[in-house]
Amino acid sequence: MASVAEAAVTPVRRDDPEMIEVRSRRFGDFAVPGDRVLHFPQGLIGFPRVRRFVILDHRPGSPFKWMLCLDQPDVAFAVVEPMDFVPDYRAPIALAARTLGTDPADIGLFVIVTIPSDPTAMTVNLMAPVVVDIRTRISRQLVLEDGRFDPSYRVCASPPAAPVES
Amino acid sequence: MLVLTRKVGERIRIGDDVTLQVLEVRGGQVRLGLAAPADVRIFREEIFLAIEGQNQEAQLPDHGRLADAARVWEAYADGKRG
Repeated sequence: MASVAEAAVTPVRRDDPEMIEVRSRRFGDFAVPGDRVLHFPQGLIGFPRVRRFVILDHRPGSPFKWMLCLDQPDVAFAVVEPMDFVPDYRAPIALAARTLGTDPADIGLFVIVTIPSDPTAMTVNLMAPVVVDIRTRISRQLVLEDGRFDPSYRVCASPPAAPVES
Repeated sequence: MLVLTRKVGERIRIGDDVTLQVLEVRGGQVRLGLAAPADVRIFREEIFLAIEGQNQEAQLPDHGRLADAARVWEAYADGKRG
């Protein structure tokens, strides 16, 4: 099993000012290049003080990624790009671009996965995706309030019709 | 909690750049208009609580949880592909 530390870009030169070292009790020690840090000026919803995250691959080829907090290293989420999991999801790219004041072509979008102790019941939060301006790495958790997006959409089931943005 | 009484059409300023206006009162409902800078997030409270709760639930307890999910997903996706 690849550890987070192994998944991070290595090797780490301890004297390299471009690398940020993080020590996490839960997830191990790792180092990330400073130019890959995502900045959430408002934090996440309900987590106003977690401002800096980095997204790391779980394993090459896996759609699962770690979203690790650099400010509170024991805070981490699993994220995925929704297209693999919910093909009908109409990602709110235009809204994200307006909100972040950038071009739709520069938007990256992830959804947070909730993984209960029985992982077959995992869900993705389609109502509150994480959007990133890939040029500035300014990021935000959008909230889609119109009621068509499920905050706990179950991915491993014979799914009901996926919610879509019209 | 600060309690203010306002008539329809009247406003409240919150800080320098947030304005809350009472637009309409009908039956048990109040329609409010909010003007705020784009970086001020405004949600109905129940929506905020739902997303906050979902975020809390989604925090990974340990390193193995994500790996378990990745394995389950691979098996599931393989099954779907037949």
